[in-house]
Amino acid sequence: MSLSRFLVKRSLQGLFVIWGVITVVFGLRFISPGDPANVLLPPDVDPEVRAEVIAELGLNEPLYVQYWDFISGIPLGELGNSLVTRTPVAARVLAKLPATLELAIAATIVAIVIAIPLGVISATRRHQPADYGATVFSLVGISTPNFWLGVMLIIVLAVQFDLFPTSQRPIGVDGIVLLFVSGSLGEAVNGLTTWLWHITLPAVTLGTYFTALITRLTRSGMLDQLGQTYVRASRAKGLPETLVRYKHALRNTLIPVITVIGLQLGTLIGGAVITEAVFAWPGLGTLIINSINARDWPVLQGSLIVVAVGFVLVNILVDALYAYVNPQVAYD
Amino acid sequence: MISERTLRNLRRELRRSLLAKIGIVVVVFILLMAVFAPFISPYSPGKQNLDEARLPPVGFSTAETREVTKMENGSVVIEGGEVVTEERTVYTNATAAHPLGTDGNGRDILSRVIYGARTSILVGIFGTSLAALIGVLVGLTAGYYRGRVDDVLMRSADIMLAFPSLVLAIALVGVWGQAQAPIPDPFVVTGLAPAFRSALGFTTGMPDTVVLPGTVIVVVALVNWVWFARVARGEALSIREEEYVKAARALGASDGWTVLRHVLPNAITPILVLATIQVAAIILLESALSFLGFSGADVSWGFDIALGRQYQSTAWWISTIPGLAIVITVVGLNLVGDWLRDALDPGIEGEGGV
Amino acid sequence: MAEPILKIRDLSTSFFTEEGKVNAVDSVTFDVEDGEIFGIVGESGSGKSVTALSVIDLIDSPGRVTGGEVWYRNADLAEEFRGSRPEAVDGDFVDVRRLPKGVRRSLRGPSFSMIFQDAMSSFNPSITVGEQIAEAVEVQRRARANPRRTRSRTQGYGLGSAILDTFLPNRDYVSNKSMDRAVELLDQVGIPDPEDRAEEYPHQFSGGMLQRAMIAQALAGEPDILVADEPTTALDVTIQAQILNLLRDLQEQEGMSILMITHNLGVIARMCDRVGVMYAGEIVERGPLGDIFENPVHPYTQGLLGSVPDIDDPSDRLEPITGNVPSLLESEMPNACYFADRCPKAMTDCMTRIPEYDLDGRHSVRCVLAEREYDEADALEQEVMADD
Ligand SMILES: Nc1ncnc2c1ncn2[C@@H]1O[C@H](COP(=O)(O)OP(=O)(O)OP(=O)(O)O)[C@@H](O)[C@H]1O
Ligand code: SF4
Ligand SMILES: [Mg+2]
Repeated sequence: MSLSRFLVKRSLQGLFVIWGVITVVFGLRFISPGDPANVLLPPDVDPEVRAEVIAELGLNEPLYVQYWDFISGIPLGELGNSLVTRTPVAARVLAKLPATLELAIAATIVAIVIAIPLGVISATRRHQPADYGATVFSLVGISTPNFWLGVMLIIVLAVQFDLFPTSQRPIGVDGIVLLFVSGSLGEAVNGLTTWLWHITLPAVTLGTYFTALITRLTRSGMLDQLGQTYVRASRAKGLPETLVRYKHALRNTLIPVITVIGLQLGTLIGGAVITEAVFAWPGLGTLIINSINARDWPVLQGSLIVVAVGFVLVNILVDALYAYVNPQVAYD
Repeated sequence: MISERTLRNLRRELRRSLLAKIGIVVVVFILLMAVFAPFISPYSPGKQNLDEARLPPVGFSTAETREVTKMENGSVVIEGGEVVTEERTVYTNATAAHPLGTDGNGRDILSRVIYGARTSILVGIFGTSLAALIGVLVGLTAGYYRGRVDDVLMRSADIMLAFPSLVLAIALVGVWGQAQAPIPDPFVVTGLAPAFRSALGFTTGMPDTVVLPGTVIVVVALVNWVWFARVARGEALSIREEEYVKAARALGASDGWTVLRHVLPNAITPILVLATIQVAAIILLESALSFLGFSGADVSWGFDIALGRQYQSTAWWISTIPGLAIVITVVGLNLVGDWLRDALDPGIEGEGGV
Repeated sequence: MAEPILKIRDLSTSFFTEEGKVNAVDSVTFDVEDGEIFGIVGESGSGKSVTALSVIDLIDSPGRVTGGEVWYRNADLAEEFRGSRPEAVDGDFVDVRRLPKGVRRSLRGPSFSMIFQDAMSSFNPSITVGEQIAEAVEVQRRARANPRRTRSRTQGYGLGSAILDTFLPNRDYVSNKSMDRAVELLDQVGIPDPEDRAEEYPHQFSGGMLQRAMIAQALAGEPDILVADEPTTALDVTIQAQILNLLRDLQEQEGMSILMITHNLGVIARMCDRVGVMYAGEIVERGPLGDIFENPVHPYTQGLLGSVPDIDDPSDRLEPITGNVPSLLESEMPNACYFADRCPKAMTDCMTRIPEYDLDGRHSVRCVLAEREYDEADALEQEVMADD
């Protein structure tokens, strides 16, 4: 199969999954006890007003009409209106997205920068103190609930030693870019340090599980690769050990690691939701939690769709990358 | 189902792995703690005592500056008609009566940790069993029938996987609300635990029900069945090609019988390994839901961490200790999972011979 | 007769496993002469591969070469180390095991090279065959340009270089010159369309072609000694013959020596000048091909030859050997001839460690039958032999 055909096939699968996601999210409303009109109205409201609201929300239409209304707006970026604020859901989700993306990307960077060298060191110094240290770290890392880790970091580093702020996001990357573009360089630099200062604890909180996971994967992948005959053959032909380890073994290790990272992006978003709750980080997670507490279904539905569709798209991207770096996939 | 060889591998791996031993000890310890909570818990987890709020754990004491009424020679000092106050450092010492301290409402943290284990274990075991049941049914059906059936089932699994499990769980619990089923605690209802406690002079008044967080169990299963489906499907796909399975079918064995008799027993090992890891994952998920206040549980490690947050600058232990309980439990389960995986599937970590 | 290029003396290698110490190679001694093919033959698990890897210093943990010498004839090296490491020098020979680590590593390629049984797993699946061969050329090109750096710990290629090569698109370890040479090498080993094939990945090659490519890769450094570990075992019979012919031709063209490892006596008969027979980590008999085939002394050698159909002389067939190679666990090895439990001629004399007996300066054997005749009266009890 050629690379382009592989990508087309993968994208079609992705489209199907996206359709499924939207349908599931649409169905979510029907499993909730009580109907949405109750959210807006006091229980003892005049039946006429009630009927009016229901009509306005389109809840008295036949199911297929409701479904069509729901699904047909999505390609145009319409996710309906919030029951509470009556503003478009899409705009609210969009406004919250940068904060979550920032957090997720920062955590991924933390994880990759720490985990890959750690995994390599661990594998190449097997049964030495560094290896034991890395093994214990990764074991505890994948077993620690990140919200608790966040609370611990706050207690120790923010409360006791006052090194970091406990919460909030006074400025985002978008704000910094804006300052930069408008020419106030000094303020942009200030903004950047403030941003870094505020995002450190949330990023570490969210990134620890991934650091641990990727360390584990890198270590076992590296051990596996270093035991392969081609590594021995590379040494037999006199290649420098650095080249054997990094050009040959590490690259082959990273190919499957990339896929796993892709598969785990969902966990990353899930982790972001709860990390946001710990640090009062104003992102999608906070939006989701608030929408549940306020029973604001359209906002919940819109956020879920954005998260799931984003996840599917990223996975297609990861697969494409995988096919690109691993020629066997495309040719098989 | 579990062959002699498998048992031998398990024993051998256990003998040479210190970590596996640690894992088993931890898991057994936590299980015993959860089961025998009404015997060993010092107090009822809900028993408040506001006079003893925020006592630190043994080995720690806290110093706090408080404004107190100024006293001289045993009487209140009054100047200009006002009671005079002064700043004074107040020390709070740990007491042996509450070895892990008390929370903001003066409840004993050790008791809450012991009872919290019940919530985690109940959700972990029931949630995993339900997920395994759904997943294995779907997976075996898909792998055994292949074709259309397989396509439909596995595509729905893909759709489930597109939702981050925590987000989906939050949404489902949020939408459904929190149904909880109080079931009678057998030890308390039969009078066994109270008799034991009064014989030893322990405090009595243990709760006589165990709260089964129904919605949470269903939701974690709905979120996690997919992993079981994948494993079961893979096994079914390969086992149905085995000669003896083909032979059984050729002899007219029904599909259900073939699956039960031949396919399932062979799939048991990987499912068991997965289940161990899933218990850990589900315990983490439950604690996250409780932390966010969505599970409705009022005795749960995650919930207690959230309760402690308002004291994070004065009483660190309220959040810290339940979290440690989670970490220890999950580490133990992961170690047991690693042990099973290494023993039952030695091909996973290649050693590369000559 | 030619002079040895390699003299292996009492080489021992053990694996330190959880079950205990495994003596995979036990006091092995043999010579490889200039321009000859020396064969090592033996059953699976007898220690052939470990011997090969020990010679070129590629034993990984948990294994370790525990003793012995690997004398390699190289006048330049001998001159260089005569002053600084006299114990490592003897005439024109150097003991590779006593040379500094960096020097030992720099010998891989220009002095020793190795080909493996399974070509598919001996190439990195995600890099083109041409580039992998070019790497082998490039190491030597860099070594010639800067011999001292090549002997350093990192061979002049540290973490910094690796990172830069990965992230800068215009940097690559392999130069164009080396790529050109790789194509030439592919051509030399008889691969058609070498320019195109060089751009292909290992999984696009057939088994025989990939084996040729691996030989090309091993030739890149123009080695003095090529170690070939079962180079044809994984191939079809017709392709086996082609590869063997290729090796033979190349050996004559390049004037190198080959250490040929195989369990196939046919390959030995066809290719080798001299042979060593391995059993349980020891070389039990060695000598010129003719002597071993016509006059085997060791009952194991006799058994091996007996299990090969001999078209010329069908009358004189021995029984094939029954039983298995022992585990090689040190704690389980008997204080006796290791072959005693399978040997049809085992006697009471055999219940002690047997030294190597020299028969005529060229043919030697580790068996008491070198000194005495088999005597029914001394035969060991049957039950001792019928273990297993
Ligand atoms: N990595 C290792 N760890 C432990 N023992 C090993 C290892 N590699 C080899 N051995 C031991 O060394 C012995 C000899 O192995 P070797 O691979 O040299 O046999 P061989 O003669 O090449 O057999 P084959 O024909 O199967 O390749 C084996 O019995 C094995 O027990
Ligand atoms: S020494 Fe004895 S047992 Fe060993 S091979 Fe010779 S005759 Fe057989
Ligand atoms: Mg071998």
